Amino acid sequence: MTGMDAILHGGLQGYLVVALLLFAIGLAAVLLRRTLLMQFMGVELMLNAANVALLAFARYRGGDLQATVFYLFIIAVAACEAAVGLALIIGLYRHRDTTDSDRTASLKQ
Amino acid sequence: MFLAFALITLLGALGMLLQKNIIVAGLFMVAAFFGIAGLFVLLANPVAAALQIIVYSGAIMVLVLFVIMMLSSHEEEAPEASRPVQRWLSVALVVALAVGAVKLVLASRAVQELAVRGSAMPRAVTLQGVGAVLFADHILGFEVAGLMLLAAMVGAVALTKRNL
Amino acid sequence: MNKYYWLIPILPLLGSVFNGILGRRAGKGAVTFVGLGTVLGSLVLAFSAFFAMKALPDHRLVLNFGEWMGVGSMSVPFGFVIDTLSGTMMLVVAGIGFLIHVYSVGYMHDDEGYGRFFSYMNLFVFFMLTLVLGSSLPLMFVGWEGVGLCSYLLIGYYFETDFAPDAGLKAFLMNRVGDLGVAIGMMVLFAAFGTLTVGDILLRAGHLAPEAGFGILTFATLMLFVGATGKSAQLPLYLWLPDAMAGPTPVSALIHAATMVTSGIYMICRLAPVFTLAPITMDVVAWVGAATALFAATIGLVQRDIKKVLAYSTVSQLGYMFLGLGASGFAAGFFHVFTHAWFKALLFLGAGSVIHAMHHEQDLFKMGGLKAKMPLTFWTMLAATLAIIGFPGTSGFASKDEILYLAYLKSPALWVIGVVAACCTAFYMLRLFTLAFLGEPRDHHAHDHAHESPASMTLPLVVLAVGSVLAVWLGWPKAFGGEFRIEEWLSSAVTYGQLHAAHGEHGSAQLPLILASVSTILGLGFAFFGYLTYRNGLAVAEARAAKFPVVHKVLLNKYYVDEGVELVILGPIRWFGNLLWKLFDVIIIDGVGVNLPGALARVFGDFTALFQTGRVRNYALSMALGAAVLLYVFLK
Repeated sequence: MTGMDAILHGGLQGYLVVALLLFAIGLAAVLLRRTLLMQFMGVELMLNAANVALLAFARYRGGDLQATVFYLFIIAVAACEAAVGLALIIGLYRHRDTTDSDRTASLKQ
Repeated sequence: MFLAFALITLLGALGMLLQKNIIVAGLFMVAAFFGIAGLFVLLANPVAAALQIIVYSGAIMVLVLFVIMMLSSHEEEAPEASRPVQRWLSVALVVALAVGAVKLVLASRAVQELAVRGSAMPRAVTLQGVGAVLFADHILGFEVAGLMLLAAMVGAVALTKRNL
Repeated sequence: MNKYYWLIPILPLLGSVFNGILGRRAGKGAVTFVGLGTVLGSLVLAFSAFFAMKALPDHRLVLNFGEWMGVGSMSVPFGFVIDTLSGTMMLVVAGIGFLIHVYSVGYMHDDEGYGRFFSYMNLFVFFMLTLVLGSSLPLMFVGWEGVGLCSYLLIGYYFETDFAPDAGLKAFLMNRVGDLGVAIGMMVLFAAFGTLTVGDILLRAGHLAPEAGFGILTFATLMLFVGATGKSAQLPLYLWLPDAMAGPTPVSALIHAATMVTSGIYMICRLAPVFTLAPITMDVVAWVGAATALFAATIGLVQRDIKKVLAYSTVSQLGYMFLGLGASGFAAGFFHVFTHAWFKALLFLGAGSVIHAMHHEQDLFKMGGLKAKMPLTFWTMLAATLAIIGFPGTSGFASKDEILYLAYLKSPALWVIGVVAACCTAFYMLRLFTLAFLGEPRDHHAHDHAHESPASMTLPLVVLAVGSVLAVWLGWPKAFGGEFRIEEWLSSAVTYGQLHAAHGEHGSAQLPLILASVSTILGLGFAFFGYLTYRNGLAVAEARAAKFPVVHKVLLNKYYVDEGVELVILGPIRWFGNLLWKLFDVIIIDGVGVNLPGALARVFGDFTALFQTGRVRNYALSMALGAAVLLYVFLK
């Protein structure tokens, strides 16, 4: 299967395209939304996009188990990062009374 | 099938991006995650799908929603202060990235070959299989991951304590 | 005893250092002791050295202290030469210097900067002795420059006033112009003779036939003469000397009458054989000297300040000396230096005595009738006045008429100029004398308080008067039956190394007698005329001045030369300096060199600071952009 065909019917290209689009959307969320939490969700989305790409390649290489293990670790790391990140956001909110990332610009020259 | 799940995922993501209300955006995110889980199933990886739902949708997004509620920032985002350069530049970048990447993928020979080679459906990934590999080859990583989770937990608690 | 002679200049130097550094703390007594003692010690040693030199058959005592500068083919020794010329000058400097130091004790008694004054005076004696005794041109030049420095320091001594420091600066700058001439002359002489030691130069010059090194020697000697012009206040570099009267009167006496201003003449006598080889320069010297003599004498006719009259008189008399030198009368010229030192120093110190008595009044028009109040000063000043006008029998008569005779032999026109100047001299000196000492006092208040000066001041006056009288012994002209001893005495120095001694021309035996009689009679006539004009006060003079207002005004304003210089030379220089300042300093150096980089840095900084928004999103955008670019590059 090639080209648009592959995309529409779930070939490797299809999954990859989905992954890339998810990544782009996640990046857009980080760059275009002001609320820290939205940016956080964008980051998670980017991470998931990478996961999709990972597992898509794994399947097309004959069902690689190592990839799944790797995916597990990714999730573990993501979880930690989420915990700490959210804790930071809470801390910042307590300090600045806002979660607007543009208002937390005290490093401005 | 693929198209359905792909669309769910993408539309969920877009919804998250464009939604003004943060809570609704969070819910769209959950939907996107479900879509991804479906995609994993199609990729002969039910383990991953299950993990995705349990951890991501179930734990992480729930956490996020908790925080959203806690910070009462579910109100509408204040109107964007005019920084058109930033916005247009970002949009341009993202669009360029997306279009460029898609074109790249489609044009890549290696991807095409790989797609052809692996077109046969492999055996589904089983939990036993994953567990075997995990505990046999990557036991150290497993332990370290455990420690990391501990550290994250302690850190999160420490960071949010009001009086140390 | 030879080994102590190096102390002759060094003793005053030590005194200067002591007075300069410790003078204030040591007190006036110590300063006086050190200041006078060192010069006295120097004088004693100088006498000893002089007699030692006299005992030698060739009258030449050379003290060599080793090589000073040795570069390639040039070897400059560090040493002193005491021959008849330098020995005589050394005694003049040390002796008259000592007398003036004694005088200063009384004159500067009330002054705050007593220690500073004696420090500078001692320093001057050191430099002057170095100039006189130096065995090489560079060492002489050290002394030359040094006396210029001391002149500046001492003229500007009253630094709190406006004009004294300006006068000092003027003197120094004009000297500097001259010094350039001396430096160039020195270098050309080195090129011509391959050595800078005076003795060697004279020896080598002696081996040259006359006219041999015509062009180069003429150039060198002209340059040296430019230097002499600056130092000895001849046209056109004389402007500083009248202004130098801003300094204390002892300074005027020592530096601007007896010693420093005669260094130009001394230098020419020192290098007499070289100058003899450049007849064009000799002509220039004679004519410039004559012109200066006349020019300055005419200005002196109408000046009101007693010191200014004496200053212009000095310029005029220096002109006479150069006239003598230019007419190949080296001995005559130097003899006039010698006699002039005595009576001019006396005149200045006497004037100082008068000024002191009149409580710092220097205007002749306010003086009068001081004869009764200050008899000693009166008599000594009379002696000096007679000497300067060339009264028969005085030392001034001897030296001046010898010069005039030689001038006539060179060119009768020079003689005429000289005689006219002599008549002016006679007139203004009697004018000065009459206005100051005779007639009715014009300022009764000052007159009442006037009194004779203390012994420390009058004693040197007496000694100088005696010296002025006795000096005639050295040079009584042959025309009047004398032997003009000084010519023979100096010949060993002046004709050193010459294989053919230059013979002055001689006219008939009666010629000098006729010339001298004419000039003396005219001179005495004008002197009497001066006396008559002023003996009853200013009325006659003022009436005469009213009849020739233009002439009077021009003379009174010194021919407006100072104003001319300001307009033609100084104005443009100042304008140019201002322009350079506005253009280079402010715009280019400050603006482009300093301010511009600063402004650029600021602009740059401000620009790059725009990127530091502190907003996470902006940074994320930048990162994403960068990553995209890198990705693109890598995947190409």
